[in-house]
Amino acid sequence: MVENGDKQMSAQDAVAANVRDGDMLIMGNYTIGIAFGLVYEIVRQRKKGLTFCSQSGCIGDELLMAAGCIDRLITTFVLNAGTVGGNFPIERALKQGKLQIEDYTNFQYNARLVAGMHGYSFMPVLEGILHSDIFTKRGFMGDDKFRVITCPFTGKDTVLVPALNPDVCIIHVQRADKYGNAQYWGAMGSVQAAALASKRIIVSCEEIVEHDVIISSPHFTIIPAYRVNAVVEMPWGAHPSEVVGYYNVDKVGQGTLGAGLLTEEGGKAWLDEWIYGCPDHNAYMNHYIGLFGSGMLNSIKARAYYSAPANYGSAFSTVWDEQKRERTMGVTLEELEQIMKEKGVLYE
Amino acid sequence: MSKPYTLNELLIIAIAKEIHDHENVVLGVGIPMTSGALAKALFAPHSNLIMESGIIDFKPTVPMNHVADCMSCRGFSYSTDLFSTFTMTYRGFVDVCFLGVAQVDKYGNLNTTVIGDYENPTIRLPGSGGAADFISYAKRTILTMRSGEFVEKLSYVTSPGYLDGGDSREKSGHFTPGSGPTKLISTQGIFEFDPETKEMFLSQLHPGVTVEAVKKKIPWDLKVSPDLKQTERPKDEEIDFIRNNFPTESVGKNLMWEIATASFLKRLNAAKPTIEK
Repeated sequence: MVENGDKQMSAQDAVAANVRDGDMLIMGNYTIGIAFGLVYEIVRQRKKGLTFCSQSGCIGDELLMAAGCIDRLITTFVLNAGTVGGNFPIERALKQGKLQIEDYTNFQYNARLVAGMHGYSFMPVLEGILHSDIFTKRGFMGDDKFRVITCPFTGKDTVLVPALNPDVCIIHVQRADKYGNAQYWGAMGSVQAAALASKRIIVSCEEIVEHDVIISSPHFTIIPAYRVNAVVEMPWGAHPSEVVGYYNVDKVGQGTLGAGLLTEEGGKAWLDEWIYGCPDHNAYMNHYIGLFGSGMLNSIKARAYYSAPANYGSAFSTVWDEQKRERTMGVTLEELEQIMKEKGVLYE
Repeated sequence: MSKPYTLNELLIIAIAKEIHDHENVVLGVGIPMTSGALAKALFAPHSNLIMESGIIDFKPTVPMNHVADCMSCRGFSYSTDLFSTFTMTYRGFVDVCFLGVAQVDKYGNLNTTVIGDYENPTIRLPGSGGAADFISYAKRTILTMRSGEFVEKLSYVTSPGYLDGGDSREKSGHFTPGSGPTKLISTQGIFEFDPETKEMFLSQLHPGVTVEAVKKKIPWDLKVSPDLKQTERPKDEEIDFIRNNFPTESVGKNLMWEIATASFLKRLNAAKPTIEK
């Protein structure tokens, strides 16, 4: 990080500096607005042996699997499993014994992150799970997937999940300043918890905005600058998924990726063409426009539907009134200093 | 007689009628989402539609892609996180939730995780998502079934229904008292659960379906209500609402992709001469 706090960098530098082979990586976004551009960069840098945490099981997960980046998966929902003949990479890998998996419910996954973000070692979850195989079947976490204690207050069975503190979170948001204050709106899911629970955070955003924009709308800031390691300005950074206020899902882009991933050979060809063959996200988008034209992208651009502005204003922002008198004591600075002198509260 | 309808439309309408006015309603994507929109428009205008991603009090304007798709509605009243959506369910604020069925047994226990062995799957399914926690604490759970199956024994219990039947769910003390699956709605009819044994029985048949046809798909000796009801034929107004606003839901995923692919190729071919120029 440079001294003035500016954390802007390229996706290439951000991933190279913050994602290491064998890391536990978490997708910050939940189901909507997936950080595809950062996923592509992780694939491009051929990261290996990752334990990947993903709640929505989107097609980005399938891509990381197809590219051989991940060995272990902590999930709640493998979106494409059980469809089109069971041919997507994660299901294929599970059948071939090439992937270890741990299943949680959406709530438990989020609870692990909430414990992680607040520094607790565990979080209670909902005890109905005692009657589910999610509780009884343990994957690579073994006994530590869940523990049960007796609540010291009520005497009831209380099911616990351990805190989750991933090594690195990748997350795409609408806008951020160069310091890393990241603003996100729409479906909150587990987005904030996923980021704040993590040790390092890479933020990509549709646009970098002035710090003034951030401080006048702090309710949209879900990650404060001091927690962020890298900020990457990346228009269309969630393509082919969507970003609220920017663009809808690109079904042609999604279909191209999906169709490619259906076979091992198809997956390889897709990766060669779209990731290894494109040095960065810009090149990827240009490749897309070269193939399909810009008509599709133009048709999915969001029309404005603005949030009503909230008034953060106050009556004044200085203690001195129009007559230069202090608002509480009713005296000028000159008079105040005279009084302080007279009262003997000043020291030479 | 009203106009012809698709099985999806029939299912969407039957599910919509389970939403009552002023209820807090958790919806999954696909058929239940469309049912929610229909209910809000025609039957339950003050219902509060909820998605687990923390989107509270929304009204879909176009078909939603997933449970975090706040781009398919114009605004919503309350934006919270997923954690809080479940704790509000745990505290008893959710009246009804809707869950899709992959495998179901006679006591309404569900499997949406795996067919075959967990470690060595024959088919891997998506998993729980929010299902296991919603069925445990929503006051009512409606199971919806488009293409799932009834089985004697589940490969994997993802979401607990009435466990081993009788009072086993209630006795465990781990669930909201009185909660659990109240109905299962399929494209053939509606099933309910016996108040004592908690075994699923057939309570209502959709138009043109016979008891024999229903029994064919069920591996146990299905009990049938002595006063078996008939589902009303969908009304034009209901069909029109779905077809005008959510036509992809009327035809269903498979036919939608068939039509979409054909028309995409047609447009591509039509554009070719211009591209070559």
